[in-house]
Amino acid sequence: MKKLAKILVTALVLIFLTTPVIVNAETPYKTYTVDGYGYVMETQTAYTPYSAITKVGETSFITPVDMSLSKSGNLYIADSGAKAILVCNLAGEEVGRIGDGILVAPTGVYVTEDETIYVADKDAGKVFVFNKDGEVIHEYGKPSSPIYGDAMAFKPIKIVANSSGTMYIICEGNMNGIVQLSPVEGGSFLGYFGTNYTSLNPFEILQRMILTDAQRAKLLSNIPSTPTNLAIDDDGLIYTVTQGDDSLSLKKLNIAGNNMLTSDPYYADLPAAVTTGKYNNILVADSDGYIYEYNEEGELLFMLGGRDDGRQRIGLCNKVEAIAVDDNDRVYLLDSDKKQIHVFEPTEFTNLLHESLELYAKGSYTQSKEPLTEVLKMNSLFDYANKAIGRAYYQEENYKEALKYARLSKDFDGYSNAFWEVRNVWIRSNLVKAVGIIILIIILIKIWKMLVKKGKFGNIVSKYEKFKNIKLVDRLKYSKFFMRHPIDGCYAVKREGKNSVLCATIILVLFIIISIIGKYYPGFLLKTVREGRYDLVTDIGKVLVIFFGLIACNYLVVTINDGEGSIKELYCAYAYCLSPYVFIKPICILVGNVLTYNEVFIIQFGNLCITVWVVVLLFLTLKEINNYSVKETIKAIFITAFTVLIMALLISILYVLCSQVIDFVITVVREVVYRIGN
Amino acid sequence: MATKNVKNRKKLIIAIICVMIVVVLVITGVNVAGGHISNTNITYAEAATITPPQAELSSDKTQNKEEIKGHKLVAANDNYELYLKEDTLSIIVRDVKTGEIMESVVDDATELQNVNDTWKSFLQSGVVVEVQEDTNTMQKKAGVNNASVNVTYVDGGFKAKIDYPNYKFGFELEVLLYDDGSITAYIPESSIYEESDKVKIGNIYVFPMLGNTCLDEKEGYMFVPDGNGALIYLDDKEGRFDSGYTQRVYGSDIGIGESYVLSLLWDKYETHNDSENVLAPIFGMVYTDAKLGYLAVIEAGAEEATIMATPNGAYTDYNWITSSFRKSATYIQPTSNSGGSVTKVTDRIQYDIKIRYMFVNGDKANYTGLAEKYRDYLIEKGELQEKEDSFNIRLDFLGSDVENWLLSKKSVAMTTTDNIRDIYKELQSEGVNNIFSLYKGWQDGGIYDIPVTKVDTEGSIGSKSDLKKLAKDAKDMGIDFYLYTDGLRANPDTGNTTFNTVKKMDKRLYTESTYKSVYEKMVYWTPDKSVFNVNQLKDSMLDNGLNNLALSGISNTLFTYTISDTMKTRLTTEYIYKNMYENLDKDMNLVLCEPISEYWKYTDAFVDMPVSDSDFIYTDKSIPFLSIVLKGMVPMYSDYINFEANEREYFLKLVETGIYPSYYLTYEDSSKLIYTNSSDIYTSKYSTYKDRIIDTYNELKAIDDKTSGAYIVNHEILDNGVVAVTYDNGVRILVNYSDKEQTAYGETVDAMSYKVGEVQ
Repeated sequence: MKKLAKILVTALVLIFLTTPVIVNAETPYKTYTVDGYGYVMETQTAYTPYSAITKVGETSFITPVDMSLSKSGNLYIADSGAKAILVCNLAGEEVGRIGDGILVAPTGVYVTEDETIYVADKDAGKVFVFNKDGEVIHEYGKPSSPIYGDAMAFKPIKIVANSSGTMYIICEGNMNGIVQLSPVEGGSFLGYFGTNYTSLNPFEILQRMILTDAQRAKLLSNIPSTPTNLAIDDDGLIYTVTQGDDSLSLKKLNIAGNNMLTSDPYYADLPAAVTTGKYNNILVADSDGYIYEYNEEGELLFMLGGRDDGRQRIGLCNKVEAIAVDDNDRVYLLDSDKKQIHVFEPTEFTNLLHESLELYAKGSYTQSKEPLTEVLKMNSLFDYANKAIGRAYYQEENYKEALKYARLSKDFDGYSNAFWEVRNVWIRSNLVKAVGIIILIIILIKIWKMLVKKGKFGNIVSKYEKFKNIKLVDRLKYSKFFMRHPIDGCYAVKREGKNSVLCATIILVLFIIISIIGKYYPGFLLKTVREGRYDLVTDIGKVLVIFFGLIACNYLVVTINDGEGSIKELYCAYAYCLSPYVFIKPICILVGNVLTYNEVFIIQFGNLCITVWVVVLLFLTLKEINNYSVKETIKAIFITAFTVLIMALLISILYVLCSQVIDFVITVVREVVYRIGN
Repeated sequence: MATKNVKNRKKLIIAIICVMIVVVLVITGVNVAGGHISNTNITYAEAATITPPQAELSSDKTQNKEEIKGHKLVAANDNYELYLKEDTLSIIVRDVKTGEIMESVVDDATELQNVNDTWKSFLQSGVVVEVQEDTNTMQKKAGVNNASVNVTYVDGGFKAKIDYPNYKFGFELEVLLYDDGSITAYIPESSIYEESDKVKIGNIYVFPMLGNTCLDEKEGYMFVPDGNGALIYLDDKEGRFDSGYTQRVYGSDIGIGESYVLSLLWDKYETHNDSENVLAPIFGMVYTDAKLGYLAVIEAGAEEATIMATPNGAYTDYNWITSSFRKSATYIQPTSNSGGSVTKVTDRIQYDIKIRYMFVNGDKANYTGLAEKYRDYLIEKGELQEKEDSFNIRLDFLGSDVENWLLSKKSVAMTTTDNIRDIYKELQSEGVNNIFSLYKGWQDGGIYDIPVTKVDTEGSIGSKSDLKKLAKDAKDMGIDFYLYTDGLRANPDTGNTTFNTVKKMDKRLYTESTYKSVYEKMVYWTPDKSVFNVNQLKDSMLDNGLNNLALSGISNTLFTYTISDTMKTRLTTEYIYKNMYENLDKDMNLVLCEPISEYWKYTDAFVDMPVSDSDFIYTDKSIPFLSIVLKGMVPMYSDYINFEANEREYFLKLVETGIYPSYYLTYEDSSKLIYTNSSDIYTSKYSTYKDRIIDTYNELKAIDDKTSGAYIVNHEILDNGVVAVTYDNGVRILVNYSDKEQTAYGETVDAMSYKVGEVQ
């Protein structure tokens, strides 16, 4: 035992001297990913906290604001408080210190493959270039070119450089874009790069049109935001992040300065830095300590991390300034508030995903299936993996599986392609059968007709005739006539008593049922709502409110505009107007379920036909029922629209008043509870 | 006409008043309708029974002894001596054999010059009170220098009457030394008095600086009960931390809002994982060089205690560990919807305070020694009995959950009773014989249709007789099959939760966000209602011949709440649950999920045992403290391995800690759960896990064959990333977490691997 204790003591002593080896615990943050609908869900931890670098050798950080990782594995940390660049290896051991006595407030640092160090110094208003040994080899001040602008100050805050030495510099207060400097002739200005644009919403446009110059000057100026940070990858593509640009905050710019990414709904609210990994994956660090990892197309893979806010747990940050990724896929976050570099280590799960990312990007679909299957074993809903494996199956011509995974990942293009193939196979094997069945049906109908002619089924036929003559059935059949002859139809509704309320209601109910089916089962490719999501009360409610609201408003309008329609007539006639939808939409729904994107125009055309037809019917009905001229009809339509607006306004005012009353009552009750409590 | 109008108006006013009265009555919880159940009314003295100590008091040997730093000897035994300095109530504990001491105040005058007055008083007092003045949310620290102290000597120690004349309150402290080397500090509730309406006792610290060290003057560590256990080394932290470990024993109190910042991602998603709860009221301090240490066990008042371990650099240059006891607290009482509120102070929370410091020295002065001490203590007190501890793999099944469908909910069946039987058969044919199972979501309406008060299965997973048959078959197969339910939560969407639900101190209903789409909110049952529900379920289960029950929620949640304006404390909550477990344990086989130490004796297994700590920035090392205490006593099952991103590392952790593996399984693919409240289960399909279950089982079973029933006697973390665990039957397991081959004790262990051997 004594021996054991001795060993324990020595072990403890040794532990004091070594850096942490194992960190194994439930991470203080969750990791999220998204499915094809953008449904955010939890997944296995992507990165676990590994260690923290709190000082370089014996020097603590003062105000660390930027960091760059060299290929050789050294971290260059711009510490504007220390007025120097601190250099350390990945374990935090000091390797060197650059720029003492030269730098004033280094805010950006970038190190190239050959260890040339670019430093953006905001307060000095200069860019310094150091060689490996820390000697200044170049110094660039404000560009003299007139294009840059005489009045524009030069306050470089972040910098990167490409292999030919062209520098891309973000300057504080310079809204024109990234300053592009060439190393030749002491820094010639090449122009602005990757400018952010502003957009005006309709209200602002209107405002600007109406206001006087003086008033306009008082408005908040609508100037484009300067990027917050930037990065460059091995191919020379520039990545920028801009705070406040929401879904366009991350940009991947090609040589021409055009953004290659589509907008992404899963953006960082406060992006602070961006970098790229070995697999062309893009990592964005949020100032609040979140890490977002995207694939090269900008699709979200993971989101993890969070603010510390006094939780005091390893891996939570307070104010992130810079991000870097090393060759082992470890992620480094520079936290200026905690004055440390957080190091995160990829988990076994993430390593699998990275492997598949690499293979998939290379086009080795079949090989990529193996790690993807492992990933899906760990999380069967992982969207990216489902999509990639679906495409891999498609490449292997296993269309059924491809279809399954495409549907899981909501990969509509992939689904369409796979479905085309599956349908093709089905048609090929069933064509003969199908044609046979059609011919058989035609023959049967012919025989039936022949037999009827011969009077063989007199009984059934007479029953059918009787059925046809029931008043309701007759009225329902009338909707078919109305569709084609709205003017005569309206006349009949008004004068011939063809206005059965029951019949109109049946049509309305049918309309609702079909619209619901059309919403929830239009075929996977045409579906706009999530699978498995139903909200029938709102669906039905919406139709009823709009339909009856319009009729009510319309009736109010026509009664004071010499209209002749009664409310019953209006109701019946308008319900009849919906019959094109009731007749044509079911066909669209059926067809929609067997279509791919190639034929989708058929449905679009069908829907257009329905809409136009219904609109024309409505117009004619309004006109005929009330015996209006065209001019009067248009007038009535406008007044109805106005009435609807007023009605909406009235309802919203009532709503606000009611909620205030309720709020008042609650407050009184709470007060009473409080008083009783005392 | 006019009179009629007036009459109508009067009627209307009367109607409104009536409605308001009803609303007020309902809100204040007066019985105006049925559904209430009677509530337990007990005093603190009934709720907390302190078992008298077994050991003898140490005799008084005060004669002819030298003073140490102005402290007089008050009691002694063969191993330790207790010294006291009256004016500051400072004690010193001395190891008789080595002469090493532990002090309870700082008396280094030069060091203290840099400390402000508040902290100076804190560092120099044996007892510190945080004073609650009016509704001031900042409490002032008042050490003994603000008080008058009267010490009387008794057998084995002393009694001190402490009065704070400025604040008009006071209490008595009794400190005794026992022959087994333990010292108790006791503040009886009956001795506490508060004479001012405005000034109250906020928190009490007893010997806050016991065992303190300055910077890195001593080698050693502080032990905190975070998760399975964690150490904070007594090295120089170089000012890295501005606060220390502060956690409420048995988890936070939802009743008295402890404010925290909630930052949601995209305004919607909670991205933080909660830190581990403190499951046992213990903490410790060990000097490894001086070979002296103690384990402190809070014997009374743990429910209101907070454990604080503060490394140097945070506030002062000293390392100290203590527990503070909450006697009153402030809370916010909202008075309007638009944010109007007043701050209020609770009445005094009534309970005795008692801490037992169990000293260790020599070879036992390390965390394994502390764990052994705690194990012996629990056994001696009857808080822990040796249970049948044979190796099992835990396979939990999710029966069903619901998703929104049309106007109502649709059941999503994940694992039927027949599926489970087939899985058992298949696994047993592969040699996986020892299985322990919890069946979740078996009840009608799925897993979140809670409470469950009778055996009524969800139709889609099988009928009641199917369930009974499965339970019987499982028993025949030798499988421990338990029905699981949450005893704490109530779902307002599936049942009536108007009455008997927990209201916080501010008399508002407590609601818990699920951050899920089907059921967005849950509420808590009052303890009495929980007991009522569980007992109903028990009767129903016994009628159906089912007697294996697993409970969560009430196994580790304590809260302050109000009933008809009366404050009920966490102690009451615990007492009510404990009584229930006492009865339940007689009739049924009971399993509790992550139970707090008060309930350990009732559970057949420790389910959801944390394998590690919460990774606080100030903790240096995670140690399997609770595992060392419980290994060989109670079977422990881990969290679910499915959701682990580092499977291999987690597996090694199980090898090291002796915790048994757990999987959460469904027969159907987990993608079916995406629209349910169980959407956080993103991987669980049995067929994908089958092979891994078999491998894990075989590998861990082979290790368990050698360690079965044995206690852990030593646990060391070596410098090369290898951990060595020694059992009392001579088996030693070496676990290598590093990514290189390593050698330890003459054995070579592969990277990310382990080796089982014997101690030579």
